[in-house]
Amino acid sequence: MKRSYLGVLLLCVVLFLNIICTQKAVNAYYFEHYRTVIFYAVCNAMLFPIALWIYQRERDVQ
Amino acid sequence: MPQEKELGQGQGHQREHLQEHQQGHKRDNNHSPFQEDNYTHNIRKNDERKLDRRGFMKTLVGAAGVFAVSTLPWGTLAARELTGLKKKAYPKLKIADIRSLQVGDAVEFAYPGEHDSALLIRLGDNEYKAYQNACTHLKCPVFWSKEQDEMVCPCHHGIFDARTGIPTAGPPKRPLPEVLLKQESGAIYAIGVKRYEA
Ligand code: FES
Repeated sequence: MKRSYLGVLLLCVVLFLNIICTQKAVNAYYFEHYRTVIFYAVCNAMLFPIALWIYQRERDVQ
Repeated sequence: MPQEKELGQGQGHQREHLQEHQQGHKRDNNHSPFQEDNYTHNIRKNDERKLDRRGFMKTLVGAAGVFAVSTLPWGTLAARELTGLKKKAYPKLKIADIRSLQVGDAVEFAYPGEHDSALLIRLGDNEYKAYQNACTHLKCPVFWSKEQDEMVCPCHHGIFDARTGIPTAGPPKRPLPEVLLKQESGAIYAIGVKRYEA
């Protein structure tokens, strides 16, 4: 069986985006750009279902 | 062979060893019965101990969940800030009487909270500036140096311009947050903290 590492790669990308969003959100809060904070917080929350979806897709393929 | 029955399934190592033993390969007693490492000889599945690909993906998904949850409080705080009081309401606080403050003098006070230390400096006859004096590098208290005409952070020799709050030397990169002032009946009042410009 040939392994596919696509899922792992995609999840790594998701995690990277998570880190960026978190940093941006906290920073924006410090600068009192509250709309930006909410935007990034929502982005971060949305990334979780995406990660879950990638994981399930990768699991079902096998 | 009666011995073989006694041995359960999957104890192949032991069996092999016993056979070996019966065949006359004698060894001294100063050995564990197995040739293997005592801690792993009972792991039979290939790579059982390693974090496999699926396990790694699960970890990543979990981490994404943690990140998602961790920013929620920031989001809620921001939302409350947006919906509630449109402009942050700051208390009005009397800092000092003008009479008690010579040109070039500074007084320390706390604003807006009792743990947010701040510094008021009288720079000229009618020129006052106040900053929250936690250094923007690592939060050491910044003090006013009258001789050098600048604000100095003793921790890593950060220096701030007292007229603008902008760092002029040392590790700090961001200006000190400025406290808004108001002059009223011979006294100086703090009325707010300037919004931080990115
Ligand atoms: S804390 Fe002020 S320079 Fe480092």
